[in-house]
Amino acid sequence: MTKLVMTRRLASFALLAPPLFVSIIFFIVPLGLLFWVSIHGSSSSELYSDQITAENYIAIISDSFYLTIVQRTLGAGATILALCLVFGYATAYVLAPLSPRARLWLLLLLSLPLLVSNVVRAYGWLTLLGRQGLVNVVLQKAGAIDAPLVMLNTFQAVAFALMTIMLPYMVISICNALATIDSYYREAAQSLRANPFQTFVHVTWPLSSPGVASGMLLVFLMSLSAYVAIVLLGGPRMKLLVSLIFDSAATFRWPLAAAMSFVLLAIALVVCALILMVLRPQRVQGRG
Amino acid sequence: MHRLLVAMTVFTYLFILLPILVVVVSAFSPTEFFVFPPPGLSLRWFATFFGTESMRNAFTLSIQLAIVSSILATLVGTMGGLYIARRRGLAASILQGIFLAPLVFPAIVLGLSLLLFFKLLGGMPAFTGLVIAHCVLGMPFVVRSVAASVLAVDPVLEEAAQSLRAGPLRGFALVTLPLIWPGILAGGIFAFILSFGELNAALFLTGPGISTLPIEIFDYLQFSVGQLVIAAASALQIGLILIVVFGLERLVGLARVVRS
Amino acid sequence: MINQSNRPDVRFENVRKTYGKATAVRDLSLSIPQGSFFSLLGPSGCGKTTTLRLIAGFEVPDSGDVFIRDQRVTDVAPYKRDFAMVFQNFALFPHLNVAENVAFGLRMSGVPKAERAAAVAAALDLVKLGNFADRYPKQLSGGQQQRVAIARAIVMKPAVLLLDEPLGALDKNLRESMQVELRSLQRKLGITTVFVTHDQEEALTMSDQIAVMRDGVVEQLGAPREIYERPATEFVATFLGASNLIDVVAVAAEADQTLVEAPCGRFTIPGRHGPGTRLRVSIRPERVALAKAEANAAIPATVRDVVYRGMTAHITLDANGLPLMAFVQNSAEAAIDWQPGEAASIAFPTGSLGVLAQGQA
Repeated sequence: MTKLVMTRRLASFALLAPPLFVSIIFFIVPLGLLFWVSIHGSSSSELYSDQITAENYIAIISDSFYLTIVQRTLGAGATILALCLVFGYATAYVLAPLSPRARLWLLLLLSLPLLVSNVVRAYGWLTLLGRQGLVNVVLQKAGAIDAPLVMLNTFQAVAFALMTIMLPYMVISICNALATIDSYYREAAQSLRANPFQTFVHVTWPLSSPGVASGMLLVFLMSLSAYVAIVLLGGPRMKLLVSLIFDSAATFRWPLAAAMSFVLLAIALVVCALILMVLRPQRVQGRG
Repeated sequence: MHRLLVAMTVFTYLFILLPILVVVVSAFSPTEFFVFPPPGLSLRWFATFFGTESMRNAFTLSIQLAIVSSILATLVGTMGGLYIARRRGLAASILQGIFLAPLVFPAIVLGLSLLLFFKLLGGMPAFTGLVIAHCVLGMPFVVRSVAASVLAVDPVLEEAAQSLRAGPLRGFALVTLPLIWPGILAGGIFAFILSFGELNAALFLTGPGISTLPIEIFDYLQFSVGQLVIAAASALQIGLILIVVFGLERLVGLARVVRS
Repeated sequence: MINQSNRPDVRFENVRKTYGKATAVRDLSLSIPQGSFFSLLGPSGCGKTTTLRLIAGFEVPDSGDVFIRDQRVTDVAPYKRDFAMVFQNFALFPHLNVAENVAFGLRMSGVPKAERAAAVAAALDLVKLGNFADRYPKQLSGGQQQRVAIARAIVMKPAVLLLDEPLGALDKNLRESMQVELRSLQRKLGITTVFVTHDQEEALTMSDQIAVMRDGVVEQLGAPREIYERPATEFVATFLGASNLIDVVAVAAEADQTLVEAPCGRFTIPGRHGPGTRLRVSIRPERVALAKAEANAAIPATVRDVVYRGMTAHITLDANGLPLMAFVQNSAEAAIDWQPGEAASIAFPTGSLGVLAQGQA
């Protein structure tokens, strides 16, 4: 090996070492440890007992309480995804044909809220949806309702607020995909007798699938760990999987919390795989 | 059909912007409880905010945390971005996956795993723990932004620099670095903003007396009732973000915000 | 199978299309005969692509009317018009395989599945891609993608086939073989074809008729030979290959010829022009007759430069201050054996001279 090659290898290793160190020591190793903890029994004095066991996972799968929570988590995820898809696609479809400049500003307006902490955004909904919140006040003044609606502490409030918190990801992702579709494709479809509806179903929708897929993945993954909005808008009795992780950790049942974390990750993995299987974005990726 | 789509777009904007607007407006409320329309404007809740020691401390801590963690994330992330940008193949793909994974990884799981890791190590000062967590979470933003900037630079430029007798280090410092600088900056600012608003990992890593602003807001909302000091705290957060974003716009242009 | 009747398949009546202040097409009236291969030729921005897109309906005229097979389609949506199109970048749907791409149009118009499959197979056989039905566009070479795009268009059996610079994306060799293939396919099917190109050689090779466009106006319309040999305007003369332009004054007319005078000497041009008329004439460099210097040559000249190009030699001449270009065939050693500074004698065969319309820049 020549000296030049040696120097180059050394330089590129020096570049790689710090980020790799951070990723391994503070991301991968803790994750491995979390799994290690999840397959041990709990202990009152230590983080976990010496005994290797699957009891934490079995407890989750066999307990109807946990299963209900898993079911509710999936239900919330599905609701959020569906709402995000409908509103996100509609918005992206309206924004995409605009001039790049107008589109940039309108997307920017949507993305600035992403920078604001989720607790602030959830607090905003708290103010809006409360008994004397803006929504009730406006509805009452308009005469649409007599008594204030109870909107807080419901599944609907949680799903809706989470939907609005994640919605910008969906719009941006789909809008970027739609804006990159060459107008030639739509014209080609029209030249082949496809009416506007057929053009959308057979050309625009499949060509936008990478944006839809990445938006859905992002929204689902984010909504899985959105603890704060659930607590603030769902109240103490509204529990999703992420609340259970937090509750178990708060009561020092570390192995159970660890096991639930991996159930959460497994759900994330399965749902993401499902989204990719249905939308098949790889069909249109890597073209040209 | 198009009218329906436009109507839905208007609702999308309402859904996303309304909660933030209502928070900002109510922060200037002169009354004990928010009434609509507000009878006037006042700064009393901001005064209350800075008069409350725990709030003030949390605000300071959040700023310190955001500065330290984003600087670390920028340093390490820039290296990662430089390393993976032009490399192809299996090893590079795996590295890229590892570097970018925290972007989509449930932060609550990361927080829990770091907490257990620190406990196993025999404890970690809360601030250090938070810095580490936010560095891990902020790094991928920098990696992605830097890698994208590097790819936009023509590799011939660096070769041209070397053909003009600049060594690899000087070539990098004089040619590549000035060109990817906006990418580094944008990534770093994202890491800052992320740290400033981050909750899910911080939930596990804050301790008694050491609390970030979002956690403080969260605790307050959970255990105290309807005081508008929270609106003031939120408005401060939004204000600081606007200042940072404005700076970002001046330095590198806002288009990066949408792309990231 | 060519069925060239007088009934036009595409007709423009006083069509005008503007974008803001820029006029893309102005007062265009045009008839494209059934079964013909019709080229719109011109530099970029001349309105040729707009003209094509007006037929398709992707653009709507500001005024005037467009007809396809005697049906007024000015207000008809593109998907209801009887045409098919091959796009510049082919626009093959990346999520559909070759067979699905070709079947797309039939599927949209509700053709039953069995019928569809047969038509697709036939179309793919026609472009020699029978074995590629299951491939995806990104797995194909540029030439193969081109064929799929053609198959996808002709399977629709349209009244008119629109080709928007379809060969532009291919490299030179492939482009030349595709020219031949496309032309023979068009002859075989007898399908009326409108072809947009900026490549004059391509237009000359393929067309029955060429419309040379500039600034939204058809400068000249005619068969390739007519356009090349007798350019009507200076623009056509210079855009289609090289031309020598010579300013002359008519001296005397006799029968259908006129003797003219130029700085370089006297020669005869076709047509009658009154004495004293100022004219501008053009002659192709390959039509300039070049001989070794003679004592009493009508037009003496000096060789300035010789560029050897293999099949031909390009010789720059100076005829009493008038720069001229002559292309000489490399048919014998002597034919191209010219040296700079050598004296030569040139002649302009009367039949090779064209008189350009006046008032053109």
